[in-house]
Amino acid sequence: MNYAVLTVPDFALHALRRGEPGLEGRALALVTGEGRRAAISQVSAEAAGIAPGFPATLAMARCPGIVLRVRDPGAEVEAQRLLLAAAFTLAPRVEATAAGACTVDLQGAAEARTEAGMRSRIAELSAAGLPARVGAGETPFLAAWAARRAEPVLIVRDSEAFLRALPLDFAEPLPAHAEILQAWGLRTFGDLTALPKAEVGLRLGREGEALWERAAGRASRVLRLVEPARSFAAAWTYEPPVESVEPLLFKLRRFAERIALELRAAGFVAGALALTISLEDGSDHRREFRLPDPGADVDSWLRILQAHLDGLRTTARVGGARLVATPARPPVRQGGLFDTGLADPHAFWENLARLGAVVGDDRVGTPAVADTHRPDAFVLGRPAETVPPPEPAPLHPPRGLVLRRFRPPRPVGVVFTGRPAEVSGSIEGIVRAAAGPWRRSGDWWKPGAWAAETWHIELGTGEVYQLARTGAGWRVEGILD
Amino acid sequence: MAAASTLSALRSLVAARFPATERRPGNCVPTGIAAIDGALGGGLAAGELTEVISGGEGCGGQLLTALLLAGTRAARQRVALVDGADGFSPDAVPADALRHLVWVRARNPGEALAAADVLARDGNYAAIVIDLRGLAEGALRRTPDAVWLRLRRAAESRPAAILVQTEFPLVPAVARRLVLRMPRGLSHRRREQAELAAQATAEMVRGRAAAAEEMAG
Repeated sequence: MNYAVLTVPDFALHALRRGEPGLEGRALALVTGEGRRAAISQVSAEAAGIAPGFPATLAMARCPGIVLRVRDPGAEVEAQRLLLAAAFTLAPRVEATAAGACTVDLQGAAEARTEAGMRSRIAELSAAGLPARVGAGETPFLAAWAARRAEPVLIVRDSEAFLRALPLDFAEPLPAHAEILQAWGLRTFGDLTALPKAEVGLRLGREGEALWERAAGRASRVLRLVEPARSFAAAWTYEPPVESVEPLLFKLRRFAERIALELRAAGFVAGALALTISLEDGSDHRREFRLPDPGADVDSWLRILQAHLDGLRTTARVGGARLVATPARPPVRQGGLFDTGLADPHAFWENLARLGAVVGDDRVGTPAVADTHRPDAFVLGRPAETVPPPEPAPLHPPRGLVLRRFRPPRPVGVVFTGRPAEVSGSIEGIVRAAAGPWRRSGDWWKPGAWAAETWHIELGTGEVYQLARTGAGWRVEGILD
Repeated sequence: MAAASTLSALRSLVAARFPATERRPGNCVPTGIAAIDGALGGGLAAGELTEVISGGEGCGGQLLTALLLAGTRAARQRVALVDGADGFSPDAVPADALRHLVWVRARNPGEALAAADVLARDGNYAAIVIDLRGLAEGALRRTPDAVWLRLRRAAESRPAAILVQTEFPLVPAVARRLVLRMPRGLSHRRREQAELAAQATAEMVRGRAAAAEEMAG
């Protein structure tokens, strides 16, 4: 097989259905014309008893639950991009043949792998709402005819046998020629090619000879190749604006499916996703999701996006959105002999996103003490993929009980007689013993200068607290626990 | 009621007479406090919830967290800390003992338990510490039992040992509950933490040892 054709029957109908929530499983028809002239052009399988050409009023009478829509050019463009992306995963030479059809030049491709790829793409397209078919054969014409007969994949290996049985209208004869061939009693390609080509040419002219060539499988044509996607983005608007997360997720999934396929076709995965939500009041909410484990798995993306959206509250309705994937090269991972990396990286990063949705993104991560002497200064960073080997034990092992902080520090009254002697307020009692002070200061060269004097005090109950005196007065910073 | 108490007594009897038959889903995670590890048969059991009460303030709960961090760091295991009252102080433990930690800074019991539920279903952690000390008792008591049951069920299918730190008995039907006591006072501030940990006591109030004591009584 040298060529493959991916095609989606009733393309406009399926493009519309995959772009609009709530249409799945319902009787749906596309209507052309207006008023009394409105007629059905494409109809879904659920609309029993309705056929293309029916007046819209008759369709509504016969099938009361039917949903009538006009074509959605935006949805068709998006569906066509998805189809093209699927085609580019098979081979780099692709033609956008027509709306809902593209032809792939497979010359040089390994047949077994290509066939597996075609079946896989068909399954993915079907899951993405485009029930596509694929046919493959020696010429672009043959592949296109095979696609029309495919359920859903048909690879023509015996071209002559396949062609012989095809009806003549597949070869698209001129209307005048079709009538003549009908009158001659010719119905199939085999009937036509049984006649000598020269005799057909004598009677039907050059068009007749070309028709014979096509029917014999000898005709070919040059593909008009298109370029693969260079940017991996999708933008859409809602009319009217939406208030809940479901419509947003529905569209996100649809666009993510296409972007993921485009990335894979280009040999990339997503290193990061950027989601911009345009609100009705003119403001934008933008969030970038860096994917620590780059991939092109739509479900993983959606879980991360959903975890964020579930916790998002906006001030106005959502009027539109934009999703951009930053391409990255697929990671190559080799487990080390003593590797203590993540057992399930996807679950780990997804759950981190979920935790961010629960407590806030800035409140989850691996802590590290900030490079300052300021009390309670730390940063929360991204957890390591692999737990590194521990450093040698510190020269001075940790001593004493460990501070448990009160955030924010609690104000406390202190009777100070060279050292804290009595405390009142958030903690109360006579100070039995005290250690300190430890004085620290920093940032004195800039406006945020700070200074603190720290004490440890033991109350009569045996509890040990950490006090700090700053410009704002005494605070109890925590308990040694 | 009678049937339930009979069943409970039967379970206690089996646990006390045949300790080897008690379900141990996987490895243990040593806490670094000998009294706790001894009472638990080596450490926190993977796939189970263990509740440690350090009642009142200043009873060693934070030292337990720090030692658990040090031990798991040495073993290069990953640890999560759900910090219910946001009391963990990164500068109170060695910097290297933080590199395997995922710290979740919750604000209330709802956030803490929701985060714990997510972490319990993740298969990447050796230990998950849920520190609920410092949270309002009333709010914690209002937590439906179903939340704990769900957490326990989630833990059963994962390799993580879950340590719940509380100030009072809280977790219903927990497998093991201990009360931790630690020497207090300013005089101990220069003693090495390992030395302090060696002086800690842990009383098993629910679990195998408690059942054995009950039987003996």
